[in-house]
Amino acid sequence: MNEQTTQEFDFKDEMIDEKITAQQEAIENEIAREQKLISDLIKLDSLLDEYSLEDTIYRSKIIELSANFSLVRKTRGDGNCFFRAFGFRYFEAIMGKPDEVKRLKDLANKICTDLNQLGYNSFTVDDFKDVFVEELERLADKSDVKLLEEIFNNPGSSDYIVVFLRLIVSAYLQKNADFFLAFIETYQSMKEFCSHEVEPMYKESDHIHIIALTNALNVSVGIIYLDRTDQTEATPHNFPEDSNPNIFILYRPGHYDIIYKN
Amino acid sequence: MALKRINKELQDLERDPPANCSAGPVSDDLFQWQATIMGPPDSPYQGGVFFLTIHFPTDYPFKPPKIAFTTRIYHPNINSNGSICLDILRSQWSPALTISKVLLSICSLLCDPNPDDPLVPEIARIYKTDKNLYNKNAKEWTSKYAMA
Repeated sequence: MNEQTTQEFDFKDEMIDEKITAQQEAIENEIAREQKLISDLIKLDSLLDEYSLEDTIYRSKIIELSANFSLVRKTRGDGNCFFRAFGFRYFEAIMGKPDEVKRLKDLANKICTDLNQLGYNSFTVDDFKDVFVEELERLADKSDVKLLEEIFNNPGSSDYIVVFLRLIVSAYLQKNADFFLAFIETYQSMKEFCSHEVEPMYKESDHIHIIALTNALNVSVGIIYLDRTDQTEATPHNFPEDSNPNIFILYRPGHYDIIYKN
Repeated sequence: MALKRINKELQDLERDPPANCSAGPVSDDLFQWQATIMGPPDSPYQGGVFFLTIHFPTDYPFKPPKIAFTTRIYHPNINSNGSICLDILRSQWSPALTISKVLLSICSLLCDPNPDDPLVPEIARIYKTDKNLYNKNAKEWTSKYAMA
């Protein structure tokens, strides 16, 4: 073979690769500078500012929605938004309730056992679970929104919680692979699906992630779909379907934020 | 946070080292490691000792470790700079993976190259069209670069 040509090719290849990585990092840094992981509470109708006056579908749906929902917290658009939004809102819903905190803690320990049985290294999995439980326990006896905001805006704790939520979804899907295999296309196995679409950070979430997470934790969540479809109202969708949630997440194509009912 | 995790990985590697691999920090800087992989039996790399560098990013384990061969190797998914084309080192990295698992995946890649996603198209072409020539070249490079 001609080694000279190969080397030149490799070099060019490497340069392109490095440029792409550098550009991706620049974009990530810019988003990180401009957007907190979880924003302060803002009024729902302030979302109107994001749409032009001509955008009647979105505007009328937002106005309609503000009759029942008044506040929003925006999440950073980094692909982790569903997990981060859910984590924050769920911790918020159970903080100051020691029984609920204990239930979640016990469940977290049980899920670690499941993960070990599925072949995951206990020391990596436990690392994420430990931070998840430690932060949760800081909120067991008190409703402290400031502390909650601090925990979820510090990447050191927030990202650990996101990873553990991803692992919860992965464990649940793999344990219930027989049922869920029918819903995944293009992947040979549930293990493969999870290692491509669930476990990597910054991978966006879909229906299947939401179903798995709410089932695994036995929590009810309402997703409010706000999109360009030709209905006058944003469409609510509860997980599980027949449940009556008090945790709500606003979905706009490609992104999840937290939304609060009046 | 990264340092705590890296320390745990180091302890795990000492307690339960993966077959044919070793890894550890080069100096006091725990973010810079060196690893060795013994060429797997039944591969043209058998008998070779391959050195790699491991660099942990500050936001490890949320971002993957940067791993590269420092020993030259004739392989469709490893280029002359030592860069490795392996999905778990890029988009499929999971924070639940470890250096130990990554090294085992690299060993598997040595036994089973992935010519459909090549980093060196010429070697991939030879691998697909003339397996004997690929084996011969890989063995030659192994004895030239990876044997003391």
